[in-house]
Amino acid sequence: MSLDDPDGDLVRRVGEGDAHAAEALVARKLPRMTALAQRLLGDRTEAEDVVQEVFLRVWKSAGAWRPGAARFDTWMHRVAFNLCTDRLRKRREVPLPETWDAPDPQPLADAEISAEQQSAAVGRALAALAPRQREAIVLTYYQELPNREAAALMGIGVDALESLLARGRRALKARLEGADE
Amino acid sequence: MNEMDLNRFETLVAAYGASPVRWPEEERAAAEAFARQDPRAAALLSEADSIDALLFAHRVAEPSRTLRAMVIEGAPGKRRLAGRAKLWWSGFALALAGAAGILAGSAATAALEPISANVQMYEHEDVPALDYSAEEAAQ
Repeated sequence: MSLDDPDGDLVRRVGEGDAHAAEALVARKLPRMTALAQRLLGDRTEAEDVVQEVFLRVWKSAGAWRPGAARFDTWMHRVAFNLCTDRLRKRREVPLPETWDAPDPQPLADAEISAEQQSAAVGRALAALAPRQREAIVLTYYQELPNREAAALMGIGVDALESLLARGRRALKARLEGADE
Repeated sequence: MNEMDLNRFETLVAAYGASPVRWPEEERAAAEAFARQDPRAAALLSEADSIDALLFAHRVAEPSRTLRAMVIEGAPGKRRLAGRAKLWWSGFALALAGAAGILAGSAATAALEPISANVQMYEHEDVPALDYSAEEAAQ
């Protein structure tokens, strides 16, 4: 296992059929994968389906996992990211529900609101972003991937990632503050 | 890249926000030095910080226990245990069915031949042998 892969030893033990290692891997990665899928898809149920599929692939691949160019966490992100983008692509082929991309009717600055309401408002603003901007923000800010990894996952260069991030941040602020973009 | 000017600093902060932790590692030191030295940096950082605060107000609920259990259930070690348990129950059920068949057969034989005192054991060729290796491989 690669020494600089913090998940390497755990994955090796999972591949050997160590049930405790599998539970430890789930404890470490399940919240991270769930957050990624939920923020990309904006739907809890779909996110849970994706997460289950990601872990099925982990269980199948753990025994054959070898250190390579990517860390295991990056590989998991790639699997989850591809599953999410596949679903989003299929979603675009059918009419979206009326609530999808609905603008936030209550700008944050208008009133003092609870943390829960604020979270929900940011969630709606994220869902309303252009998909590529949302992907860039989710990977960079919430998943905390290094810029090169995020760019590679999205199949773009770092310059393009920075452009998507800057535009996404501006759009998010404009939406949440009720200002024109 | 170690050179930092206002233009690059502005691009950096607009993309990665106000926290140096998220700035690209190779530019972090130069950007931090620029922020300390150039008075125009403060306004850019303040603006970026307000957007960071909005972003990090978003929370995602923890995964449910049901999801956690379903995910763990498919893990290699767990699957093997579940497979063995299933095999044990399958074997037990087959043995039970076989025993019931023998008893039923014996009862019928006894009804037809009440005089015979010999209980004959029949081999049940229609009951397939358990192939544990094949089942385990299929798990």
